Amino acid sequence: MPGWSRHDGRGFCNRRSRSTLPPVPDPAAARAHLGDLLIRTGSEDRAAFGELYDLTSAKLFGIALRICGDRAAAEDVVHEVYLLIWRRAGAWEPGRASPISWMATIARNRAIDWRRAAGVRAAQPIEAADAVPDPAPDALALAATGDERARLFGCMDGLDPRTRAAIRTAFFDGLTYREVAIREATPLATIKSVIRRGLIRLRDCLGREAAP
Amino acid sequence: MNADHRVPAEDEATAAELALGLIEGEERAAALRRVLAEPAFAAAVERWRVRLAQLFDLWPDAVPPPELIDRIDASLDGAPRPATRRMPWPLIATIATAVAACLLVFVVARPDPVSPPPIAAEAPALVAGIAGTGTAERQVVGALYRPETGTLRVAASTLAPAGRVAQLWVIAGDAPPYPLGLLAADVTVIRLTPADRARIAAGATLAISIEPPGGSPTGQPTGPVVGTGGLSAV
Repeated sequence: MPGWSRHDGRGFCNRRSRSTLPPVPDPAAARAHLGDLLIRTGSEDRAAFGELYDLTSAKLFGIALRICGDRAAAEDVVHEVYLLIWRRAGAWEPGRASPISWMATIARNRAIDWRRAAGVRAAQPIEAADAVPDPAPDALALAATGDERARLFGCMDGLDPRTRAAIRTAFFDGLTYREVAIREATPLATIKSVIRRGLIRLRDCLGREAAP
Repeated sequence: MNADHRVPAEDEATAAELALGLIEGEERAAALRRVLAEPAFAAAVERWRVRLAQLFDLWPDAVPPPELIDRIDASLDGAPRPATRRMPWPLIATIATAVAACLLVFVVARPDPVSPPPIAAEAPALVAGIAGTGTAERQVVGALYRPETGTLRVAASTLAPAGRVAQLWVIAGDAPPYPLGLLAADVTVIRLTPADRARIAAGATLAISIEPPGGSPTGQPTGPVVGTGGLSAV
């Protein structure tokens, strides 16, 4: 494994803040570093928490902003999410979810909770889901190895455009079947069967490989 | 064991629906009960969560305002509650609080060897009404978590038949159930370890399954799930 020693925490942090990024750092090492920060946060290490925030807040804010559709609400959600992370970091289990997916999942769930409680309907049309950019090098591309990502994206691309858009909008906008149906002006039963069939096809495509 | 226990295609779709958050209401509750009761289904949900998490990489970053970290930092020092500036959790919060207050009375009114909890604690107490499911007669088991003592108090119940025990689980999000302890027929007070305390949060689900004496031998529920209920802040 190429040495993480070349990518100490500060260097990684600094590099993210510049606009021209050198190649993505070794994902396994970056993931291990985030895991270490999360474990230290679990022991109430404020410095580790601060660095964790520096490395992950743009991702979590991006998630909250898209789902809430409102900057002030997204700030409140991200505030709450980091307090949850501070309190619950001890519950993160290395070896299960990657640190960034664990945190991103919390952010997505809290943002969805906010939107449902506030009664805000997600404002973006469904086509916007496909406007989320295609895979680009990302310093936080830590959730999986390149192979696994490539396979998922390949299988997503294999779906027909309408099904793919529906699944993407469910994920990126945090929509339920009912909300997807309203947005697409399509009967609930139709949306359900389109998405369910798409999910099964996705599973079949991914399932040709061994399970994780 | 992470071998790919294949589950039928229809179940795969349901597992994915749960992981994505597409289903709601009773449909979601039924799927969550299956997570508790069926390890293969729980594993399928977990696999979908891991798969879908790769999509987070595609999510465009957005830089939060620089003062946000100061707000967060400041609230770490005081009461460990998020600022509620502009956070309208309108109707749901009101109803949840009313339900929670009723449950609190229900739990606190039981005979208690420990002194009753101060309601206006710094960190919010959490309550859950664990509603009976299935053929078991309908009963609601109140549970109260007090963050200042790290204790979880569960009301008396008659859920477990003779020769079996009731075991309490917590489910955070769509993660697999995590065992918290065995319930006595009388009021049970469970003193949680720091790691277990971290699992107890508003939004998590408490569930009770019926297990052999000594509790589940596998670390996952093996018997029927007889009740589930969500935790909410008082």
